[in-house]
Amino acid sequence: MAQITITVEDIAGVAADRQIKLVRFAGQLDESNVDEKAKEIYELINKATLPFFMIFDYEKLEYMNSKSIGYLTDWYTKLSEKKGGIIIANARPNIMDILQVVGLTQLIPCVGTVDEAKAAAMK
Amino acid sequence: MNILNMDKNLQQGGEPVKITIIIPTNAYFMSGIRDFTLAMIKNMTNFSEQWAYRFQSVVDELCNNAIEHGSLPKQEIKVTFVDNPGDSIEIFVEDAGTGKSKLKSGELHNLVAERSKPDYAFTDIRGRGLAKIVAAWTDELEFVDLPNGGHRVRVKKYLKNPTLSQPIPGAASLDPTHVVLN
Repeated sequence: MAQITITVEDIAGVAADRQIKLVRFAGQLDESNVDEKAKEIYELINKATLPFFMIFDYEKLEYMNSKSIGYLTDWYTKLSEKKGGIIIANARPNIMDILQVVGLTQLIPCVGTVDEAKAAAMK
Repeated sequence: MNILNMDKNLQQGGEPVKITIIIPTNAYFMSGIRDFTLAMIKNMTNFSEQWAYRFQSVVDELCNNAIEHGSLPKQEIKVTFVDNPGDSIEIFVEDAGTGKSKLKSGELHNLVAERSKPDYAFTDIRGRGLAKIVAAWTDELEFVDLPNGGHRVRVKKYLKNPTLSQPIPGAASLDPTHVVLN
């Protein structure tokens, strides 16, 4: 079974009108684990009361399947409806390749570092 | 997981190399199949590392569909890799024919064609694998109805420019289940 760990931390120094969390993924997201892990992200989204931005650090994400792409799109939609969003940082070349082929890079900003993502989320 | 058949003419005289793997219909085993695909493409073919990762996704998506839509739990699907040295890689995935999906191969072809349109709006979490990943990263995608009610999906990727390997004009177009992608 593919292993995936998701760690979440709050970003400090954020303006009072928004909330930003850094979500780090390590491992592989596939059919064996994506449904279960997706619930963790939905929980965060549902609890948010302010415009909510999530920075997805994909540095250690080795693989993501098409269903995880579907979830990513759904999270983006839900966050956008609440004037928030998602920024992807540090994605490996093979992950960027997947994001590009499904057209997600036209929807979700993808930057090189977590610092760049923080700066974008704080604007 | 059994490796059913490994052709002994490994890389000899340009003979095709065929590897068949049978796996249980459980997503638990897919990480192993992906690892095998990556290593095999990298070590046995002239495809680049980028393509090795792409075939990981292609195989994963095809197998997931075979498991989820084409088979019941506690059954088996068959994955076959055929490396035509210096020319192409072909991958076949066969399901058990017992799944909830009763679409025929022609209907699957139409489904992929519909979902491959640039303006197609996906409204579900699922449904992107064939149209967005498999179709994009292969030159040929073919669905075949099997006698057991299941499907065999065949994909092929040419190592060189795919336009150098077009099928005989008119032949493929008569078969609605045979999609040649450029």
